[in-house]
Amino acid sequence: MMRALIVDDELHAREELEALLQETGEFVVVGQCGNAIEALREIRQQKPDVLFLDIQMPTINGFDFLSMIDQEILPATVFVTAFDEYAVKAFEENALDYLVKPVETDRLAKTIRKLKKSLGQGIRPVYASPEIRSIPCITTHRIKLIGIGEVEFVRSDLAGVYVVSPKGEFFTELTLAVLESKTNLVRCHKQFLINIERIDEILLEDSNSPRIRTKSGATVPVSRRYFRRLKELLGF
Amino acid sequence: MKLFFSLVEAMSVFLVIAYLYCKSPGFKPLMGESLRRRDKLYLYVFFSIISIMGTYLGMPVRDAIANTRAIGPVLAGIIGGPVLGLAVGFTGGMHRYFLGGFTAFSCGLSTTTEGLIGGLVHLYLCRRGPSEKIFKPQVAFVTAFFAEVVQMLIILLFSRPYGNAIELVKAIAIPMIVSSAIGAALFMSIIRDQKNRYDSLGALFSDKAFKIAERTINIMQKGFVGDAPANIAKIIYEETGVGAVAITDTERVLAFVGSGSDHHKPGSPIAASETRKAIQDRQVIFLDGVNDHYCCALSAKCSLDSVLVVPLHIDTEVIGAIKLYEPRNKAFLNMNKSLGEGIARLLSSQLLLSRYHHQQDLLTIAELKLIRAQVNPHFLFNALNTIISIIRNDSARARGLLIELSNFFRKNLKRNADLSTLQEELDHVNSYLKIEKARFENRLVIETSIDPTLLSLKIPTFTLQPLVENSIKHGISQMLDQGKTKISAYRENGFAIIEIEDNAGTFDEAKQSKDGLGISIVDKRIKNLLGKDFGTSVTCIPQEMTRVTVRFPVEGCHE
Repeated sequence: MMRALIVDDELHAREELEALLQETGEFVVVGQCGNAIEALREIRQQKPDVLFLDIQMPTINGFDFLSMIDQEILPATVFVTAFDEYAVKAFEENALDYLVKPVETDRLAKTIRKLKKSLGQGIRPVYASPEIRSIPCITTHRIKLIGIGEVEFVRSDLAGVYVVSPKGEFFTELTLAVLESKTNLVRCHKQFLINIERIDEILLEDSNSPRIRTKSGATVPVSRRYFRRLKELLGF
Repeated sequence: MKLFFSLVEAMSVFLVIAYLYCKSPGFKPLMGESLRRRDKLYLYVFFSIISIMGTYLGMPVRDAIANTRAIGPVLAGIIGGPVLGLAVGFTGGMHRYFLGGFTAFSCGLSTTTEGLIGGLVHLYLCRRGPSEKIFKPQVAFVTAFFAEVVQMLIILLFSRPYGNAIELVKAIAIPMIVSSAIGAALFMSIIRDQKNRYDSLGALFSDKAFKIAERTINIMQKGFVGDAPANIAKIIYEETGVGAVAITDTERVLAFVGSGSDHHKPGSPIAASETRKAIQDRQVIFLDGVNDHYCCALSAKCSLDSVLVVPLHIDTEVIGAIKLYEPRNKAFLNMNKSLGEGIARLLSSQLLLSRYHHQQDLLTIAELKLIRAQVNPHFLFNALNTIISIIRNDSARARGLLIELSNFFRKNLKRNADLSTLQEELDHVNSYLKIEKARFENRLVIETSIDPTLLSLKIPTFTLQPLVENSIKHGISQMLDQGKTKISAYRENGFAIIEIEDNAGTFDEAKQSKDGLGISIVDKRIKNLLGKDFGTSVTCIPQEMTRVTVRFPVEGCHE
């Protein structure tokens, strides 16, 4: 049995697909998500084998969403699209397969064969995916998108990952590893990414490790391990 | 006394010249408001000749010449200003100087001075206000009178021996002063009368042209359709007073009014070879009835003898011709000829305008069809996918949605009328929204707030649906959070306002102009129907709300 997660912004589309998957007897549907934030959380918690991902979703489409998943836990992904125009692109992005809504059972059977083959080989899927241009964050009652340019730095602690901009600190489901590989934010510490554009000065004190002061006055620690690379990037 | 009559004789010759001059093309410069350099050169030559003739037509008196030489320079000065006056005076004076005699120098000088006097009078009159006084015979009289008095003084001052000068002046002063003054006045009065006649002809011409333009403009709004050609022909016939008027397209007679209408029937093919030639060669053809005669190809009894054929254009394409006829016993007036050509130009530009309007209308209809066609496949597709999903769990609800979908399309098909009531528009939108609501479920909340007294308001069909669809397609469906669409209708400051507001705040003007035909076409139709005070306006606070406001008169639209 393959453990599947369904991501689609439309309730009825999710339910329809879940019913279809259940009927085949090949899947255990571990969850349904209506947006990217929920989906990132579910993927981390459930670690599904297969992701059925709708391409046309508000704000963060299927392609963007793929970029946001940690490579370590990236499931085999099947795009589900209502519009054929994405079909070609789906292959370019190197998803495992794609299904067109409304999903037909025969076509689904073909997808299952592909999935079984791929999962049987035990190779982690690698999909080409675009850069992340903005980071979805969760505020009390809405999802906020923070453009990479606005970000001063990103920090992580036991509670999770926080994006810090001059306007405040926002919780995100994205991991530091994903942000480091899919954005131009640079690792300066095990728990920090810094936006080079937002550096005001680097404080060098003999006794302590160097620290960065950002343009809005926050301080970010720099560990010796990453300092050399940071210096190279800054050109000295 | 003999001298006086001889001067009157000379003066009469001038008046004949003046009369002939007024009839000649050389008179044209004087009809305009101001004189160009070339016109002035023309006047210089003319008045110089007058001046020199004055000398020759004079009578030898005591080794001098009694004459009317002064008329030329004085009039040239009054009409053309000091430079022209001086130039004419100098020319006339130099001529006189070379003829010799004891007054040769003083006459030469005085003629020049007289031209200057005329010029000074011109300057004085121009500075005083309207230049019409320049052509007053009284002014010419007084100026010539004064100028001749000055001449006498100059003769007394400069001619020697003095005794001879006194004798001469005694003999010639009164005849010369009087005849020159009268001559100048009459000369001027002939010029003035001719000028006035031209002016009033011009006024009559413009008056007719304006009347025709005014009367045709309403008829021409729809182009050459229905009885428009007949009405236009009738107007031209009435206003110009010609014998008959015909309008044709490139093949047939569209309208014929006037004598000969018994055999020139509208609807019949073009018979006259002139008309076919005019249309084919795109040129005006004129048979004046004197050298060339119009011969009716239809009836030997036809009394029409002269004709003007002017092709009608839209852009560069000839679409027909307009014809003006006169019968055998009546001359074709030059005025009617120019009027006829003017009318053809007028109608051509009106036709161009009406074609433009017609195309605008077609464009709107095409665009309207396009939104219907463009939008519905996506909508239908999404609706069907939603219903497919719902059937599995709730077949009764699925059935309800299919009925709603069917309703929506039936209304789409049935609504061919240009106008609908707000109630009808809301019904249409409700069918649409029920399906969208099923698709988005709790991601879409719909609120309505409608002033019930506005439900019978007549508005263009398909005003509401594209706007609501825009709000959902470009607004709500792009939101991660719950979307709200609010539809309201209320009265404000004597207007009926309909508003569609959502909380997405994703209105993008650049994107709208590219693929959002919705708002602009709704706006265009309303403005077409009601004028620029009505139509849509958009307020957008990014990420917060987009509000499309549609403004109507409270009495709505009329068919």
